[in-house]
Amino acid sequence: MLKKVLIRFLWVGLIILSLDVVYTHTLYPKDLEEKSKEVVEIWNSQDSADIYYFGESSNTTYRETDSLKNRISEFTNWFYPSLRITNINKFATHGGVYRQWLKVIDTKKKLPHAIIITLNLRSFNAGWIHSNLETQLQEAMVFTQPFPNIVNRFFLSLQAFDNKTDKQREEDMLRDYRTVPLVFPYPFPFKTVSEWDSHMAAGGYLKPDGSWDMDKIVLACHFIKGYGFNIRQNNPRIADFDAIYDWCSKFQVNLYLNLLAENVQYADSLVGKDLVFLMKQNRDFLVKRYQKGNCKVIDNLEVVPGREFIDLEWTTEHYACKGRMTIAKNISDTLKKQFNNKYKKAY
Amino acid sequence: MLFNSLHFLIFLPLVIGLYYLLPQRFRWIFIFLASCYFYMAFVPKYILILFLIIAIDYVSGLAIEKASGTRRKLFLWLSLSSNILLLAFFKYFNFLNVNVADLLSLFGTEFHPVNLSIILPIGLSFHTFQSMSYTIEVYRGKQQAEKHLGYFANYVLFFPQMVAGPIERYENLGTELKVEHHPVYKNFSDGFRLVLFGLFVKMTIADNIAPYVNEVYKQPWTYSALEVWVAVFLFSFQIYADFYGYSTIALGCARLLGIKIMDNFKTPYLSRSISEFWSRWHISLSTWFRDYLYITLGGNRVKLPRWSLNIMIVFMVSGLWHGANWTFVVWGALHGLVSLAERYFNMIVKIEKTESLSFWNVLLTVKTFVITSLIWIFFRAENFANAKDMIKALLFNYHLAGKGVNYIPALVFSLALIVTDVYVYNSRIDVRLGFLKTPYRWAVYAVLIFGLFVLSGTQKFAFIYFQF
Repeated sequence: MLKKVLIRFLWVGLIILSLDVVYTHTLYPKDLEEKSKEVVEIWNSQDSADIYYFGESSNTTYRETDSLKNRISEFTNWFYPSLRITNINKFATHGGVYRQWLKVIDTKKKLPHAIIITLNLRSFNAGWIHSNLETQLQEAMVFTQPFPNIVNRFFLSLQAFDNKTDKQREEDMLRDYRTVPLVFPYPFPFKTVSEWDSHMAAGGYLKPDGSWDMDKIVLACHFIKGYGFNIRQNNPRIADFDAIYDWCSKFQVNLYLNLLAENVQYADSLVGKDLVFLMKQNRDFLVKRYQKGNCKVIDNLEVVPGREFIDLEWTTEHYACKGRMTIAKNISDTLKKQFNNKYKKAY
Repeated sequence: MLFNSLHFLIFLPLVIGLYYLLPQRFRWIFIFLASCYFYMAFVPKYILILFLIIAIDYVSGLAIEKASGTRRKLFLWLSLSSNILLLAFFKYFNFLNVNVADLLSLFGTEFHPVNLSIILPIGLSFHTFQSMSYTIEVYRGKQQAEKHLGYFANYVLFFPQMVAGPIERYENLGTELKVEHHPVYKNFSDGFRLVLFGLFVKMTIADNIAPYVNEVYKQPWTYSALEVWVAVFLFSFQIYADFYGYSTIALGCARLLGIKIMDNFKTPYLSRSISEFWSRWHISLSTWFRDYLYITLGGNRVKLPRWSLNIMIVFMVSGLWHGANWTFVVWGALHGLVSLAERYFNMIVKIEKTESLSFWNVLLTVKTFVITSLIWIFFRAENFANAKDMIKALLFNYHLAGKGVNYIPALVFSLALIVTDVYVYNSRIDVRLGFLKTPYRWAVYAVLIFGLFVLSGTQKFAFIYFQF
C-alpha cells in the first residue's frame, strides 16, 4: 500500500511541475507585476544597468516648491552621464528587502558594476522593524523564494510569510521599547526608550502661557523612538546588510551603502546631546562594520542642514532639492574612485 | 491553526504518519496532544476552557449514569447550565448587559453596563454543543458514560472538527476514536480528495468572492442595485464555500486517520424549500436542535399554534447560537417564518413531490435560493443599520451607475460551485470522483490543484464559522 501511495504522490508532484510550466507562461508575469513589480524591474533592466540604486521614499520625495524635483539617483547620474544608474525604489523598504532584491539578480548574466544601497539609520529601530508596513513588504517578497513559481504562488495564498497582525507587531514594538536597554558610556537616567519617552511626554515643553506644547512634545517623543537605540549584533538589519555585503563580495560587485542624512540639528535642539550621541555612535558602528573590502559607506548623516528636511512634524529622510543634491554629490564623489574616467562635474 | 495555512499542511502529514506508526494504546495520547497543539496555535490559554468543559461533562456523565430519579436530572441540569454559563460568559455577556441596560432605560432606570474586552474562544459554541449532546444522551440512557477520560477528552478536542464542527455525537465519534484504524489505501485516497476539494472550495471559491462582498457591505449606498444584488447572491456562495470547504477538509483529515465523521452539507442550494434547506445545511447543528430542543419542546406532537411556536423558538435560538447580535436572531426568525409559511401552504395546496428535474422543481430551487440569499443579509450585516442600507440599495439604487467593480470572476467561481453541486447531488465529492475512470479523475485533480495553487485568493480570510 505504501508503494501505491508513494506513486500517487509522485504523480501529484509531476502534475504540480507540469502546471508550473503552464503557470509560468500564463498568469505568473501578471502576478509578479501586481505583487512584486520591483523584481520585474530588476529583470528587465539587468542587461542595461551599470549601477543599481536601491532606495525608498528618501530617493523620490520632493518639496512641492523645489525647482528641481529629480531623485537622488538621477542627480547622481548627472555626474556619470555615460553610465546608466537604474533606480529600484519602494516605500518603507529596508535591508531585508534589498537583500531579497539582490537574490533576484541573475548571476549568470551581466552583473552591474556597482550597487548603491540606502542605509537608513531609523530602519534599525524597533518602530521600523515591527512596522505594520512589514506585512506588505514581506508579501511582495514571496515570489523571490527559491521554489517553483507555482509553489510561491500557493505560499502567497497561504500567507506563508511573516504575516503578523498589526496588533502583534505593535506589541512586539512596545515590548522592545520597554525591554531593550539603552547603553551610554556615561550615566544616563533612563534605562529604556520607554522610560525616556515617558519622561519627555510628562514634562517636555511648555508654551509661554504655561500650557504644554504638545506639538513639540510629540515630535521630541518621535525623535526618541526614532533614534534612541544602540545597534547591536543581533539587530535583524545587521543580518540583512551582512548578507548584502557577502553577496557583493561573492560576485565582486562594488557596494556603496548610502547612509542617509538625519536631522541631527533638530534632534539636538529638541531632545539634546544624548540622542545625538546615539545617532553618531550608531553611524560609527555601521561605518566600522561595513567599510571594508569592496564596500564603502557614504556617510551623509550630518551633511544636510535642518532647513532642507521636508517634514518638520515627523522623523523622515525626505529632503528638499538642495538636500538631495548634496547627498547625490557625496555619492558621486565616492563613486569617483571606481568610475574616475566617467566622472563629469555636474554642479 | 488554520486549515488554509502552511503550518497545517506540515502538521497534518506529520500527525498522520506518527499516528499510524504508534501502537493503538498510545494513539489516544497522541491525538490528544496533537489536538491541544492545534488549538493552542490560536490563543494558547483558551485550552483551559476546553479542559474545564471536558472535566464538567466527564464527571457529569458518570454522575448521571450512577444516579437515579431527580438526582439524575439535577446532574444533567448542572452540566447543561455550566456549559451554557461558560458560553454565555464568553459570548453573550456584553450582549446581555447592553440589552438589560436598554430595557431598564425604558423604565427610566439608568444602568451602565460593564463591557468585557475578551476575545471569544474559537469554536466555543461547537465544543459546548458537542459536549452537551453527550450528557443529554447519557441522561436519556442512549449512551453509556465514558469511563476513560482520555477518550472523552479526544471526543471534545478532536482537531479536525473541534473549531467548526461537524458537531458530532459520542455514539459516532467516541466509538470511532476507540477503534484501531489501520492504514487503508481507500481512506488515504478519499481523505486526499476531500482535503484537496475542501481547500479548493475555501481558498479558490470563497476567498475570491470575499473581497467583493466585503466591499459592498462596507458602503452599500455607493453601489448600484445590480452590484448589491450580485453581492447578496455572492455572499450566499461565499458562506457556503467557506463552511462547506471547512467541513470537507475536516471530513478528509479525519478520514486520513481512518475516522469517519458525519457530512455537514448535502448540496443545500439545490433545496426546494427552506425545510429541505435545513436538512442539507449545517446538518450537525440542525439535527442537534431537532433532537435536543425541538423534540424537548414537544416537536410536532402538539397543536398547530404550539408547533408553530416551537419552530420559531428553534430557529431563533439557532440564530442566537451563531452570534450575540439581534441580527442573527432576526435571521433565524425569518427562516422560521418562511419555513412555517411553506408548511402552511403545503397543508392547503397539495403538490405531489418528485425528485425529477422538472421545471417546477427548478423553479422551487431558485425560489429557495433567492429567499435564503435575501435572509443572509441579516446574517452578514454588521448591524441593523447595515442591513437596512443593503436592502435600501437593493431596492432603490437603480439610478446609480455603480462603481464598475468586476464581479465576473466571482460569479464564475460561484457557477463552478453550482455545477459541482449538481454533479454531487445527494452524494459526496470523494464518492463521485471514485466512480470516474482514472484519467478523468486525475484530470479533475489537475484542475483542482491548478485552481488551488494559482487561482486561490491572495488575501487570507479566516473561516467565517470560526467566530461562532
